[in-house]
Amino acid sequence: MTGTPAPVGPTRRRALTTALASGAAVLGAGTLSGCGSAQAADASTVRLWDLFSGADGGLLNDMVRAARPDMPGTRVERTVLEWGTPYYTKLAMASAGGRGPDLAIAHMSRLAGYAPTGLIDPWDLDQLAAYGVGRDDFTDAVWTPTQYRGRTYAIPLDTHPFIVFYHPDIAADAGLLTADGTLDAAAFSSPDRFLAAGRELAKASGEQGIAFGYVTDTAQGWRLFYGLYRQTGGAFRLPDGGPAEVDVDRMTEVIAFMAKIVDGRTNPGHLDYSSAIAAFANRRTGMILSGEWELGTFRTADEKVGAAPFPTVFGTPAVYADSHSFVLPHHPDPDPVRRRRAHRAVAALLKAGQIWATAGHIPAYGPVTRTAAYRRLQPQAHYAVAQDHVVLDPAVWFAGAGSDFQNAMSQVLQQALLDGLAPDRAARAMVRRLNTFLAKPSPA
Amino acid sequence: MSSPQAAPRSAAPTARRLFAPGLLFALPFLVLFALFLLWPLAQGLWMSLTDTSLSAHAPGFVGLDNFTEALRDADMWRSLGNTAWFTVLSTVPLVLVALGLALLVHTGLPGQWVWRLAFFAPYLLPVGVVSLLWIWLYQPDLGLANHLLDTLGLGQLAWLGDESVAMWAVVLTTLWWTVGFNFLLCLAALQSVPDQLYEAAALDGAGAWRRLWSVTLPQLSRITVVITVLQVLASLKVFDQVYLLTKGGPNGSTRPVVEYVYDVGFTGYRLGYASAISYIFFALVLIASAAQYAALRRREK
Amino acid sequence: MTSTDLSVRPAPGARAPHPVRELTARRRAARGGTNLTLGDGRRTRVLALTALTLPAAAWLLPMAWGLLTAFKSEGDASDPAHWLWPRHGFTLQGFRTVWERGDLPLWMLNSLFISAAVTVITVLVSAMAGYAFSRTRFAGRRWLFAVSVAAILVPPQVLIVPWFRQMLTLHLLDTYAAVILPQTVAPVMVFILKKHFDSLPRELEEAARLDGAGHWRIFWSVLMPLSRPMLAAVAIFVFIGAWNNFLWPFVATSDPALMTLPVGITSVKDAYGIQYAQTMASAVLAALPLVVVFMIFQRHIVKSVATTGLGGQ
Repeated sequence: MTGTPAPVGPTRRRALTTALASGAAVLGAGTLSGCGSAQAADASTVRLWDLFSGADGGLLNDMVRAARPDMPGTRVERTVLEWGTPYYTKLAMASAGGRGPDLAIAHMSRLAGYAPTGLIDPWDLDQLAAYGVGRDDFTDAVWTPTQYRGRTYAIPLDTHPFIVFYHPDIAADAGLLTADGTLDAAAFSSPDRFLAAGRELAKASGEQGIAFGYVTDTAQGWRLFYGLYRQTGGAFRLPDGGPAEVDVDRMTEVIAFMAKIVDGRTNPGHLDYSSAIAAFANRRTGMILSGEWELGTFRTADEKVGAAPFPTVFGTPAVYADSHSFVLPHHPDPDPVRRRRAHRAVAALLKAGQIWATAGHIPAYGPVTRTAAYRRLQPQAHYAVAQDHVVLDPAVWFAGAGSDFQNAMSQVLQQALLDGLAPDRAARAMVRRLNTFLAKPSPA
Repeated sequence: MSSPQAAPRSAAPTARRLFAPGLLFALPFLVLFALFLLWPLAQGLWMSLTDTSLSAHAPGFVGLDNFTEALRDADMWRSLGNTAWFTVLSTVPLVLVALGLALLVHTGLPGQWVWRLAFFAPYLLPVGVVSLLWIWLYQPDLGLANHLLDTLGLGQLAWLGDESVAMWAVVLTTLWWTVGFNFLLCLAALQSVPDQLYEAAALDGAGAWRRLWSVTLPQLSRITVVITVLQVLASLKVFDQVYLLTKGGPNGSTRPVVEYVYDVGFTGYRLGYASAISYIFFALVLIASAAQYAALRRREK
Repeated sequence: MTSTDLSVRPAPGARAPHPVRELTARRRAARGGTNLTLGDGRRTRVLALTALTLPAAAWLLPMAWGLLTAFKSEGDASDPAHWLWPRHGFTLQGFRTVWERGDLPLWMLNSLFISAAVTVITVLVSAMAGYAFSRTRFAGRRWLFAVSVAAILVPPQVLIVPWFRQMLTLHLLDTYAAVILPQTVAPVMVFILKKHFDSLPRELEEAARLDGAGHWRIFWSVLMPLSRPMLAAVAIFVFIGAWNNFLWPFVATSDPALMTLPVGITSVKDAYGIQYAQTMASAVLAALPLVVVFMIFQRHIVKSVATTGLGGQ
């Protein structure tokens, strides 16, 4: 390319013309309107979006395989997106555009931001009933949050509570097991007893007692806090526009208790999520406060690992939990055949829930948990009762799994737990952040 | 400038002038320009005065509420601060390193294409590749960065997980990725320095360093200013690599204002408020451009 | 400014210098420049070579590390004890898995199609507009040109939200059109091409016009062929920009089947968790097209960046 016009060989000119022509041909063929999209793809495909990567992701693949006989002629095609905020952002944008997937997984705690905004469509319960799934197959605690204005916007797949895992031998040495080998809930039934149990566990493990990973985590602090706070019976009402109606004294009490758990002596003080897992898996602690979804990880380290619902420390039974559910991303005028296929696929997947239970999740579909096979699953069966006292995030549009709200709350809590912010000031800081969220106009 | 043929034509009837061939030539561009630049620009301004949301609800006019909210929004100020800090941290090395590398390569050492490839190739990588690669390099337990620190006997770093380190990690990645562009511009400028200047200097008995100091660098001063201006404007617009490396974290410590727009608008559903912040950002870019233009003018006088 | 040989030189009609001879002359000039800038001392040259080798190695290192990982097995890649050299040798497993999953080739085709479409439309439309602003007269010409040039100051980042809203209204989200169209508005290219056309002498077109050629023929058969190097420079620049563009394609597409390479490889995750060797294999595959193109067309690309990158400053 010397900038000289004259001595350009014919080959180069031809090459350029060919390139231009083929470019134009491609342009013409592409029709620009996105017919190349998977929209018009294989007619038997159900496109499912989810956020399961790792152990859960593998199990969902197994489930899809196991469900195949129940949905003849239907192929589930998964797209796994990054967990948390990126997932929900993409799901909202795709639904707003009206070209979202046929089916998507969503946390129940996110429903308040999805159903009223028109980003998801309601389920047709008659169609589901035709495939053998009905309202009565779910407990009230799980079903109630699926409702908005008398319609069902989510079909629950599981409940996944925040629980405790322990090494049975260490817990036995610490005298914290009952005669039948389960965790002695009474030993954890007040803040003082809980901390004393931690000391016993530390003695028995030879190192430290209870692990809790929260540093730089976007949810852990909030999970522990909200479950404990609801145990105090304190109010947590979030009216539109604010201000939040909460009990600052109870919040202070809970934060002070949390700070004592991560004291750095009896229990490890500043663990992030993965180092807490490592600490427990390597038996440097006797117990960990964690979501049940880590069961697979812990069982690899200790195949006898024990589990129990989160103990009632403040009087009222309450276990922080969330629930994975199936939702129908909004389509302006959905193809009834595709919709029917989505219903059928969900019914088939729910029935394969036993596989999902092996990950640690409590299947929401009753016929699965009522089987003898499920009751034989250990330690899952030990914490299945957590289902009766689950508390989900407050039903406001800005809360829920992977939300900015959980992140903001967890950051304040981290300051109290890690940087020594006084519990009462932390509680007031949380209320201020809450009010900021409430002051934002709801998108619905 | 003007085509001689155009003069008689201007006397033609109005209808013909309306469809003057010139306008027809410009029309495809003007249509795209109006549809995808002017209209969105106007629509964005309008949206910033409404509570438009991602959901189906009908937007309502809210006046300047979004702007007053933004001015009191600590997160927005923090993200603006992050953008400014990133701009400072990235522009300085991106200009100086580019200049240094170009001077070294221009010495005419053998293997010119190797040098150019080494420094420019990263610029050709899509940002997705760059971020995957650097997330892997920065991986705390397995990544090369910490292995190297180990080998050198230094402590390991939580490159993307530590609030005091993450921004530097992002800047380092940016330097590696984009310095090649500035480097090429510097190199081109060096190659256009007239040989006579060097010959004259050599005749005057100036040594290599002297020639560098009194011939090369003065000749480069204009391109350096231009590159700095372009770099500042580019750095102010940062989003891609920050979003992909840290999602703006940890704890918002790297979130630039463009990501804040994305978070508010798409994650938080508030398109109206996001438009208002877009316009505040736009104002910032315009102020930066104007300031640089003024500085450039003063310098050239 | 740095592009004198591209935009000013071609004097139509004047016999151009022989390309080969000119090239040799330039090489000689470059070497001459060498001695003049650095001096002839051996010691200085060795010093400069060392000073250059270090940063070059540092710049190549991340890529080498990525490549190395891509050829490891998953187990070796996540083995902190043997982080440098794999214990079980090298394997193509990562590449095979990534390729067989099937979305990477699809994203490559999407990127290719979208970048090609953006390039063809942008170059054609900008060249026509540049011609109109440079060679014709019509009502409002100066004014329209001024507005176009002023629009160079609008960062695309400001338009992301309104574009999204616009595509929502037009029901175009998750289509190729949504990704392509906003990228085709490039006022800076119009500016560059207008200046370029300004710099071309008018004698040739006058001759053509005397032969009765209209604007279209002058544009297409006289000016465009004359401008081939400049058009190539602009096209390369636009293509690289579109190929590497992230923010808008990221916002405009949610359907993985429509994603471009940079968006797809970072948005869609593996169901079995993070697999480092596979991730690096997909990064290598995604990087390959442009790196290969660069190796082949290095000189053209370098020149394109030098010409177009300054935005006609």
